[in-house]
Amino acid sequence: MAGRKINVIISQAPGKNPVKRHLEEEIATQLILSGTAEVSVVPHLYDLTSDHTGMLWLKSLKGDLVVLGWLYPRAIRWVLDRNGVKGKVGESRLNKIEDANDDEDDEQQSAIEAQDESPSQGIGALDVPNRLIFAIDLRDDPDPQTYVKEIERIANVMTVPLVQISGIDFQSSSSTQNGKPTTNGASNLNGTGHLNGLSHTNGATHVDHSPSVEKPASAPVVIAGDGIRRRWYPVIDYSRCTNCMECIDFCLFGVYGVDLLDRILVEQEDNCKKGCPACSRVCPANAIVFPEHKTPGIAGAEGGPVEDFKIDLSKLFGAPSALEMAVLERDVELVADGRDAVGATVGIPKRQSGASTKPRDALDDLMDGLDALDV
Amino acid sequence: MPDPLVFMMGKFEARIPTDRLYFESHLWAQMNGDLLRVGFTSYAVRLLQDVYFLDWQIDPDSIVRHKQAIGEIESSKATSTLYAPAEGRVVRFNEALLNDPSLINADPHERGWLYEFATSSSLLQPEEYIKVLDAGWEKTQQMLKNQFNE
Repeated sequence: MAGRKINVIISQAPGKNPVKRHLEEEIATQLILSGTAEVSVVPHLYDLTSDHTGMLWLKSLKGDLVVLGWLYPRAIRWVLDRNGVKGKVGESRLNKIEDANDDEDDEQQSAIEAQDESPSQGIGALDVPNRLIFAIDLRDDPDPQTYVKEIERIANVMTVPLVQISGIDFQSSSSTQNGKPTTNGASNLNGTGHLNGLSHTNGATHVDHSPSVEKPASAPVVIAGDGIRRRWYPVIDYSRCTNCMECIDFCLFGVYGVDLLDRILVEQEDNCKKGCPACSRVCPANAIVFPEHKTPGIAGAEGGPVEDFKIDLSKLFGAPSALEMAVLERDVELVADGRDAVGATVGIPKRQSGASTKPRDALDDLMDGLDALDV
Repeated sequence: MPDPLVFMMGKFEARIPTDRLYFESHLWAQMNGDLLRVGFTSYAVRLLQDVYFLDWQIDPDSIVRHKQAIGEIESSKATSTLYAPAEGRVVRFNEALLNDPSLINADPHERGWLYEFATSSSLLQPEEYIKVLDAGWEKTQQMLKNQFNE
């Protein structure tokens, strides 16, 4: 398996936005030209059912994965986990909210740290194999080079032997000359460097289920998304979920269930009501992601909006509380189903709202801080 | 005109004119014909600072519920959704702001008004609004501070 390249999966944007398609194609083309990676293209991850060819293809891939899509990294990661495509969190340098001390010095060290369990109070994912999954949000930057460089960086780090931590599985034996994978693909592309047919392949082309077999570098696996309908359902981030069951109490549409270990689970995805994020609002751990919701916090953004460090004054200007909003949203869906609105009488969290008890700061300090924040 | 009330935000004096009424969501309201003209209080403007962008999500002459989202605002320091301060009807928007929202900063109590509103809800007297500010100031600082620290 010498020279086995890292698998890069590009999850296409839903719809036919030419700018997004172009970015996807550019990244794929450049990766293939440089011979950095095995590239596959699948439809928008969130819309795939677990038996869709695209998801089956993802499940068949071994070793580390880089998954690029039009979703927050957390959303990508937990959609994959939900569908049995599991791995540890690979830390990408992209999609960072703030990267204060970005040391260049020890790449291998950072890869090792990336494998440590992140400190959290969640119940965690089950059966996580010893491999890394790097999830990258394509909304971060319109320049394909950004992604290509990052993938090259990841590929280089991953081809450094990591025997002491990697156990048996992944790329421990695949060190290549000079840390760079060999390339044989450039000659298979036509002179323009353009990737023929990437955007309009039909059906489940090229899907073989033996990804360890060497393929010519110019033949990306492209799994088309024709006829896929848009979906809407919650995705649980088990690194945050505490199994408190407030979501199952709150949702009156039978979306949630528990598994044999009594762990909360999204059981009936398609019972969920399109556009309704109410259970996410009642979750005390902010562990329920609706990847397509317009509010970044609900859609899986790490801290807040990716490119937005501004303060949110909505509460001051009369925003309903999360619970008020959730009750309202649930009632709308109940009435739409011909059922009675229940208001705040059913399934309301019992907890106290987590009141902050930080000491009071000097007024002047705060206002000065407000002025100093030069955004 | 009588002197405005003043609420101290640290060193900053937020002036609360007494010739009008208030909503808890930091809006003033003043009768203009048979409609209430609504705008941001100087407290709100101080928190926002320079307004860059204002967008309304509803058409003029829309019936709104209390706390219904009706617009978005972005400033140098903050973003926010804007919500209906009470049940009622938003009759028309201040067209001048759509081209130049900086009027909100330049003249918050007059030319920087936001919209005209009809409601049967009761409003706060200036003194009552000051009490709301007093009661909420610590919490507001806490909220700002928590958001800065993220």
